[in-house]
Amino acid sequence: MSGPHTVAPQTVASKALLSFRAWRPPSYRRFNGRGFWTHYYHRGVLRFFRFGLELLVGPLVSSLLFVMVFAVAQNERAAMVPGIDLIQFIVPGIILYGIAHTAFENAAAMLVFEKMEGMITDVQMAPLSPLELLAGYALSSATCGLSVGLLVGGAAAIFVDFSSFDASLVLGFAVATALFFGLLGTVVGLWAERWDHYSAVEGFVVVPLGLLSGTFFSIERLPEAFREWIFYNPVFYAIDGFRAGLIGHAESSHSVGFAVLGGLILGLALLGWRLFAVGYKIKP
Amino acid sequence: MSSPMEHQNVSLASTSVRHMGPVNWRGLWTLYMKEVRRFLNVFTQTLLAPMVTTLLFLAIFSLALGGGGRQVGGVDFAVFLAPGLIMMAMVQNSFANTSSSLVIAKVQGNIVDILMPPLSAAELTLGIAAGGMTRGLMVGLAVGLGMLFFVPLQIHAPLFILFHAVMASLMLALLGMIGGIWSEKFDHIAAVTNFVITPFSFLSGTFYSIERLPPVWQTVAHFNPFFYMIDGFRYGFIGHADGSLTIGLAVMALFNLFLWTVAHRMFATGYRLKP
Repeated sequence: MSGPHTVAPQTVASKALLSFRAWRPPSYRRFNGRGFWTHYYHRGVLRFFRFGLELLVGPLVSSLLFVMVFAVAQNERAAMVPGIDLIQFIVPGIILYGIAHTAFENAAAMLVFEKMEGMITDVQMAPLSPLELLAGYALSSATCGLSVGLLVGGAAAIFVDFSSFDASLVLGFAVATALFFGLLGTVVGLWAERWDHYSAVEGFVVVPLGLLSGTFFSIERLPEAFREWIFYNPVFYAIDGFRAGLIGHAESSHSVGFAVLGGLILGLALLGWRLFAVGYKIKP
Repeated sequence: MSSPMEHQNVSLASTSVRHMGPVNWRGLWTLYMKEVRRFLNVFTQTLLAPMVTTLLFLAIFSLALGGGGRQVGGVDFAVFLAPGLIMMAMVQNSFANTSSSLVIAKVQGNIVDILMPPLSAAELTLGIAAGGMTRGLMVGLAVGLGMLFFVPLQIHAPLFILFHAVMASLMLALLGMIGGIWSEKFDHIAAVTNFVITPFSFLSGTFYSIERLPPVWQTVAHFNPFFYMIDGFRYGFIGHADGSLTIGLAVMALFNLFLWTVAHRMFATGYRLKP
């Protein structure tokens, strides 16, 4: 049916369409600052704070519940780490888990929701480059995760002794975790087509990575066979470094931790950039 | 091939009012199966994910709190913990099933699909509650079977296990219905889950014997239905209870009767369901 005459105009049209999408007025220069800010702040961060009660206070309540349960049920016979209070040991992990879970949930849920409702076109139509799109999703989710961390950490500081506070370690590992999970959430959100895809990743990847990471136990407590497996869990390094920054007890090296997290962040950022550039599952 | 008009005539001629008797069994079964298929359709999210999360909880709590051959209630800490965790998973999933079903139906407007059919308030209450109970019991069974690989669970009083499993799933299914009917937005039901259901399921003796609580809170626990269902359910496994078993049976039965009446009344009056 389609001879050369019908094929050629179509090809031209689709090429024109493609180049139109990439093209934007020269006045935007290289970086569309206002577009990025709208995407990052107004769509990402403000949306989060509009649901402040359950999105900020929900993680705070569940973190405090964990602390209360551990405080009541703690084992007087066997201290987790000699010389360190159990609550002092677990609180840094609980704060970081709040950051990680919020950052992941925010990015992934936002993308799945926009895809299911068809609102993703609002972002795709805007003159934003793939990198700006990725950065908007990942950084806004990281910001939301960090604000949960600040809230939980602030509440914990009232009753836990963070005497050996090291700002560079705490900030470094908090920001790296937030970025890692924000990027992971963005990539998972692009991949997931339905809510149960998203919750499968959450239930079978994010929660196990977070809970089996040394948040609640020292690696000495692990059976011999599992002890080396924990070193393959990036969240272990994040929690260990973060804990070192707050209470000064570390079980691994910080530089290895930064290298592992940095490498993963770089890899996920490249993957996410590429996915937005080809329009993976979001362009017909 | 008959034309649509003819077809309509034929079907109209053969139509008569169907008499359903006191109970609309077919309608009730359809509503129940709709509720069950709704969660089975996404079983990774509704059955497997809770199972994995609960097994992870078992791992982290026994690693963090169990060391040094610790005994609680006359058994190893992991054996003490396992029934509490099974109950926690059942409770959270029964609640999630009925509440999400109703809130989603209300927000999307397809609540009319269950209000329009010839189903009475009692049939609506029973059908939806039974759907939530089914999910709670299936999650409980899945978690329990999963735990058998790690914890030597023993059965001391099977009837106590069954009674408290059914009563707890029913109680939370009814609470989920009441919460779902009351909520007008997802925020409302999320707030109920975060600030009521999760704290109660965490703090009512899932992880510790209430003997460890300060005396004031021990007294408070004796007015908490969540405490009795965890305590009675655990007694069925380990043969040791913190509170009175008889009071537990009575509290569960009476509280469910009360909740059932409230849910029934909500459907009967159309509270936040009918304009």
